Amino acid sequence: MIQHLPTKRPSARHFSILFICLFLFSVPSSFAQEKEAMDENGMSAQESKEEKVTQTFRHTRVINSHSIETLPARKMDFRIAHRFGDIAGNAGGWPTFYGLENASDVSIGFEYGITDNIMFGVNRAKGSGPLKQLVNTFLKIRIMNQEINGNLPFSLTVVGINAFSTMQKSASVDALNFFENGSHRFAYHLGFHVARKFSDAFSLQLNTAWTFRNIVPFGDQNDLPSIGGSLRWNVSKALGIIVDTTFPIDTDFRTTENGYYPVVGIGFEFDTSGGHVFQLNVTNATGLSETDFIPYTTSNWGDGEFRLGFTISRLFSI
Amino acid sequence: MKYLIFVVIAAVVGSVSLEEKSAPISQDDKVWDVLEQLGDDASKIKPDLTISNVSAETGYNLVTQGFSDVPGQPKSRRQSKHFVCTSCHNIEREDPDLTVIDPQARLDYVTQRGLPYLQASPLYGAVNREYFYNGDYVKKYGDLVKPANEDIREAVQLCALECAQGRKLKDWELESIIAYLWEIQLKMSDLGLTEGELNYISDAIEDTLSWTNANVILRTKYVSYSPATFLAPPEDRKIGTGLNGDPDNGQKIYENSCLHCHYNKKYSFLQLDNNDMSFNHLKKKMGTYDRHSIYQVIRYGTYSKHWKKSYMPLYTKEKMSDQMLADLRSYIEKRAS
Repeated sequence: MIQHLPTKRPSARHFSILFICLFLFSVPSSFAQEKEAMDENGMSAQESKEEKVTQTFRHTRVINSHSIETLPARKMDFRIAHRFGDIAGNAGGWPTFYGLENASDVSIGFEYGITDNIMFGVNRAKGSGPLKQLVNTFLKIRIMNQEINGNLPFSLTVVGINAFSTMQKSASVDALNFFENGSHRFAYHLGFHVARKFSDAFSLQLNTAWTFRNIVPFGDQNDLPSIGGSLRWNVSKALGIIVDTTFPIDTDFRTTENGYYPVVGIGFEFDTSGGHVFQLNVTNATGLSETDFIPYTTSNWGDGEFRLGFTISRLFSI
Repeated sequence: MKYLIFVVIAAVVGSVSLEEKSAPISQDDKVWDVLEQLGDDASKIKPDLTISNVSAETGYNLVTQGFSDVPGQPKSRRQSKHFVCTSCHNIEREDPDLTVIDPQARLDYVTQRGLPYLQASPLYGAVNREYFYNGDYVKKYGDLVKPANEDIREAVQLCALECAQGRKLKDWELESIIAYLWEIQLKMSDLGLTEGELNYISDAIEDTLSWTNANVILRTKYVSYSPATFLAPPEDRKIGTGLNGDPDNGQKIYENSCLHCHYNKKYSFLQLDNNDMSFNHLKKKMGTYDRHSIYQVIRYGTYSKHWKKSYMPLYTKEKMSDQMLADLRSYIEKRAS
């Protein structure tokens, strides 16, 4: 049974306004970038490079969540992410070779740095929730950058995501993909990420987000706030350990009794210093998009319902 | 009346001779302007300003940001996705004595002036050089250097295509760069001329018989090319050059050279900074044949390849002596935990 929640509908318009606001927020950052480029010619390299903290995280994603990092200007990131099936539990073990013969979700996409502080991306994901075959687009803006001299103690990034399901319409009115209305194909996510690089080895990030789906299963609600945290511990120049968690805030519906669980992932990331970043992780999330894994994670670590995942990222100069 | 006519004639003759006598040379004069007055031909080096949209301002933009966006002029496409001229070239003077090739003196000088210490020769004074891509650069670029050896335009195009891994410059872009280089040519004040030499050159302008001598005086005050000698890494990289290193000097090299490109992955995918992990990594790789070995990459550089066009140019002997390499090693070892 599903609930076609009618019109909190101005959603599409609201989100257009939201994206415009995000863009407007970015203007000072763009100016800052231009200033930096000019300084590069007039100011000593040492002066310009010692101001801002860099490489709080190695990549624009931690495991499931976005990190505060944005792509450098004019760099394109080609990303492939994969989540296998359950390693253990009822759907895992030997019959599926510990999940390696299943694919919970797969995404492939491109991301691009417009300036050092603004990036956008588009990817196609298989999807693992009720709405699958997703085309995700996002805009990510760095609003604050932690500074070495301590004036700004942390970095702040905001990301807006738009997910569009290209699933075929179902003939069943009870199915979520009945798509009575075209807007039911859309889901949105707005996330704020605050991070601090405490040392060269250790970085911590806190996330707060709001996810909005135009159509939800019966009993669920369109609005879904969430909080989360991520950390990175660098073992060496090339290797880091990353941990990523997300907790949906919905004490009525999204409970363990109803089969919903917080998202927890742990993994390694390798930077080849040749433009590649590889991530190898284990997580109970099945989906790869925020509009997917935050509302629809029903896998429990305690039941062996966690899976191997990886991300391959390759940067290109454009 | 007779005397009045004489006075008028004398006044006219005097004023004419005053007009014809050129103003004395000043320290702010450009060297090529003086050389031209001494009969030298600058026509091959001077920018061709008859081509539309050519300007030194456009050239400055191309050199420093890789494209031109001068208001009222056509905006050019980015010349290279990977580098701009100032990635590898300074646009200010970087040698304290223009007659001496001394990498250590250059390092001290640029450090004092807050400039990076780079592989390529400065663009400041480039039009005052007579030879380009000389010495061992033929080992790297082969016959490509031949047309560029004595032709600054060919040298700029070679730099655009091979060094910057970008597109060929259009005529108006190339001439704009030449116009900018013309602006940042050596000045008389750079040459360290004595007052006597300056006076001699000033007087020589009026005396064609002295042109050659004056020309020689000027041209011995700066080198006409940047020598380039490729060196091999030490035979045993674990031992290194065998020289005792000065970590303080090594710090200057690390901060003004390595970090210029590697800090925050500015021109490279290898991130380097002032944390222990960077130094540990470089120390670990130092004795190897890996591209992250300072010996490997400083002496051989890396090469551009398909799908990965950006690369690191090598440091010649004239840009990084073995002693400086030893200094860099000692700094890395000191900082590594």
